[in-house]
Amino acid sequence: MLEALRRGFTGLGRNWGLVVVAFSVNIALALLVALPLASQLERDLDHTGVSASMMYGFDHDWWTHWSEDQEGYTRSLAPDVFGTGFAARNVDLLLRGFVPGRVFREAGKEAHAALLLARRPRGLDPLLLGLGVLYLVVQTFLTGGLLGVFRAPQGGWTLRGLIHGSGFYFGRLIRVGLLGLGLVGIVFAANVPFARWVDELAREAVSEETALALLLGRHFLLLLAILLVHMVASFARVIVVQQERQSAALAFVSSLGFCSRNLAASAGQYGAVLLLALVLFGAWASIDARLLVVGWKSQLVAFALFQVFLLSRIGLRLALLASQLELHRAQQGRR
Amino acid sequence: MSPRSFGAAVVGLSLIALAWPGTRADTVPSTALPLPPVAGPDAPGLPPLPERSPRNASYTIEARLEPDTRTLEGSLVLEWRNTSDQALSTFPFHLYWNAFRNTLSTTARGDSRRWAAHEEQDERLFGWIDVHSVRRLHEGGAEEDLTPSLRHLHPDGNQDDRTVMEVSSESPVAPGETVRFGIEWTSRIPYGTVGRAGWVHDYHFIAQWFPKIGVFWNGEWNCHPFYAVTEFFSDYGVYDVRLTVPRGFVVGATGRREEKTANADGTETHHYVQEDVHDFAWTTSRRFLERVATFDELGYPPVAIRLLVQPEHEQHSERYIEATKIALRTYGTWSAPYPYAQITVVDPAWGSSSGGMEYPTLFTGGTSVLAPPVLQSPESVTIHEAGHQFWYGLVGNNEFEEAWLDEGINTYMTAKALNHALGPRGVAQRYFGGGHRQGRKTGWPAIAPEVWVMRGSDRVPGLRHDGEKDVMARPGWRYRDRKSYGTNSYGKPALTLQTLEALLGEETMIRVLRTFARRYRFAHPTTEDFIEVVAEVTGEDWRWFFEETFFSSGLCDYAVKVETRRLAPPGGWFEGPDGELSPAPPAASNDDAGAGEWASRVTVIRKGAVRMPVELRIDLADGSSIDELWDGRERWMRFEYTGQRVVMAHVDPLGKLAFDVDRANNQWIASRGPARRAATKWAARWMFWLQNLLELQMVVG
Repeated sequence: MLEALRRGFTGLGRNWGLVVVAFSVNIALALLVALPLASQLERDLDHTGVSASMMYGFDHDWWTHWSEDQEGYTRSLAPDVFGTGFAARNVDLLLRGFVPGRVFREAGKEAHAALLLARRPRGLDPLLLGLGVLYLVVQTFLTGGLLGVFRAPQGGWTLRGLIHGSGFYFGRLIRVGLLGLGLVGIVFAANVPFARWVDELAREAVSEETALALLLGRHFLLLLAILLVHMVASFARVIVVQQERQSAALAFVSSLGFCSRNLAASAGQYGAVLLLALVLFGAWASIDARLLVVGWKSQLVAFALFQVFLLSRIGLRLALLASQLELHRAQQGRR
Repeated sequence: MSPRSFGAAVVGLSLIALAWPGTRADTVPSTALPLPPVAGPDAPGLPPLPERSPRNASYTIEARLEPDTRTLEGSLVLEWRNTSDQALSTFPFHLYWNAFRNTLSTTARGDSRRWAAHEEQDERLFGWIDVHSVRRLHEGGAEEDLTPSLRHLHPDGNQDDRTVMEVSSESPVAPGETVRFGIEWTSRIPYGTVGRAGWVHDYHFIAQWFPKIGVFWNGEWNCHPFYAVTEFFSDYGVYDVRLTVPRGFVVGATGRREEKTANADGTETHHYVQEDVHDFAWTTSRRFLERVATFDELGYPPVAIRLLVQPEHEQHSERYIEATKIALRTYGTWSAPYPYAQITVVDPAWGSSSGGMEYPTLFTGGTSVLAPPVLQSPESVTIHEAGHQFWYGLVGNNEFEEAWLDEGINTYMTAKALNHALGPRGVAQRYFGGGHRQGRKTGWPAIAPEVWVMRGSDRVPGLRHDGEKDVMARPGWRYRDRKSYGTNSYGKPALTLQTLEALLGEETMIRVLRTFARRYRFAHPTTEDFIEVVAEVTGEDWRWFFEETFFSSGLCDYAVKVETRRLAPPGGWFEGPDGELSPAPPAASNDDAGAGEWASRVTVIRKGAVRMPVELRIDLADGSSIDELWDGRERWMRFEYTGQRVVMAHVDPLGKLAFDVDRANNQWIASRGPARRAATKWAARWMFWLQNLLELQMVVG
């Protein structure tokens, strides 16, 4: 497992530009909506005294009123996405079935009334949901090309070759993705009665400690189940490319077999990458907490830090993918 | 870029960020004025502090708790003195727990947090109080059985409600005469996840639990049914209570414990006494941990603080105690010192709805296992409920009819005390709690950095949404809905009083509060009494202020608009020095660049219905400032300036109008730079969240 990880990271290092390509999609899609938001904020703050308090801090009073008047994706601008809160918010959206495209969300669960005064975390606007689905499709498209590059022992790649490889495997990888989504759907469906049961246990608990452990625990189990499905789907993608499999379904079955035979190694890779991700998150959080952002220079530094974080995060994802390919190749070689 | 270069760039960037001179503050210091010295019992210029209450409704109660059957057996002797000038032969009593008897009670039919939504109901939620006998106890041992005369009253027209009973006596009680009633009852304790009283596991919170006589007030009995949102009203007296519970249960109650006696049947009887209070509540559980402290500061009577805390919240004990001291200190100096020798603080059990409520010399707080100090929980609820000892406990207003008189004053003072002691509060969202109401109170708190809620500003959204639904000062059951009740009892009066404080000045406001607190200690004041105190202390008629606020459903919103233009030289024909007509030079262009005279027009607009005098501050380009005053009565007022350009205009620059529902339109600035920088700053943060969310899609893809 460790050797596969090392080879995976080395392979990624040789083809570092792939991270930039994947990252470009990320920043381009985000800018599509971030720039209009910035323009709107500038218009709404123009010539107001609040602009100064928003420059030096965050005027919560102004924001509560401003949010009440928003419709659409701009309502998602809220204090809960600042600082390290973005991570909790995103994991919460994942575990409540909003990702991707709200497909796992129980019908009728989400109230569309203003939730600013409520304690429950808010949902997600359809535009952002759609952007997420588009991102998923584009990154799935790129995955085939990425795996093709990682597979080649000599390394090196061109953009044209990457796109060609991506297009070649796209159909099969989309089918793998859909199978993965189907499996996640089963996980969510099974989670509904389980969550109700645990919530009832929590409600009847004698102490808040017990209730908290139960509630955090059931969320953790759901996350673990989703990650396990991701692992299987990811290895299925590796199998499709490495073994030139035509059938996505059979690749999925092979992946299930592979993961169960090599559970420790497969899960170990995830664990190692997650650990690195946590270290990355912690480093970013500690720097961000110290940074007072007001003028253009400090904003540039903060923005650069944001993008370095994203680059590193995407790099870890690709490194994991490369490591999975190496692990699969090594295990196949042994067999 | 190679990985090595990338790594070097990351390290370099980190070093730049770490070395960056600007450091974000973790807290915002308080800007409140220091506390003035506390006023003693005979402070000059203030009404004297009464030493005792009228004591016209005193109860001696014995009660036995049966945790296994969730029942309570009780008997009481009520000594009631007729303080009116009428002879009375009918006597109404509150039977509050019958609000939980079934789904037909007035409470159950109302729009309230005090009754479970239909899908949440289970059989355990129902509770009741069943009076077996009512006797009039005469001198010499004779008794008159009043039970046959028992009937239920329905002032609200709901014939199914059983929260008010009335008994009649053949011989009227003369003015000044004292009558003794003996009452026996059984209660079923409701499951405590909805109402304030109830049980969860072995935690029992017992409140509003005994038959309580109404108040004969203003020439008639005042004994309302238990409405969905209203609270309570009763007379002062001495409470002498004996509570029998299983051995091993820790008991907390109103007053001081006189003794604890072990009984042969494995129970213990706890004897509590408290003078000069108008209610008695108690709690018991095996799980309580007990912590004690003393509030003993110069100028204040000493108070023994007893905290009963859940084991999982033990780490918050010091915060509970310190918050109680903050309340005793600040409220004591801003109104009048707390006179009782003890106060009991109860940390409610998980699942119980008993948290955040006040009773004489005892109150419930509430906190979470994960409770970052910046969120001021348990501090805010502790200060608020401890504060109710002063407003509701010592000044006993009619909470049915004028809820704002305790809730509003207390909410105003809670915000003031928090701001004074702790500064602004942080903001957080809790995640990964449960799907039910209780579960949303726990979970992982994610704190938003750089976001602070300033004093009173958390109440403004409620005012915006619900402030126009009703006139503020009205009986609690007559608001349109629960939200209107909440806004008009808590937020709107609190913001109104904060505004009054700004208009009067802190020193005068404290004199108003001290006068009101001292004059009406152990009494039942009304809104009019408060208005009269304001007039008395200030020497001015402030009724106009209360007409605009308390007796209005209008909102306050002042805005400012500025137009500036460079003055053009005059055009046309003018007389020259020789008296002959000649053409004037052509007009200069109106662009913003360059020197020259400016014409600025500042319009202050009253967008809301509430009319208040407002201040206006104008900053000019040469650095000078102009202050203007406007009575705020018309819909707009215009101010024109020529010469230097106006670069800033701010209506209500000191933020005196705390209830202005839109402060963003109060200030205009000429510069556009801050808007752009602010926009990019927060859009970039939001974009970072979105980028991470997009990448998260890959977990399920």
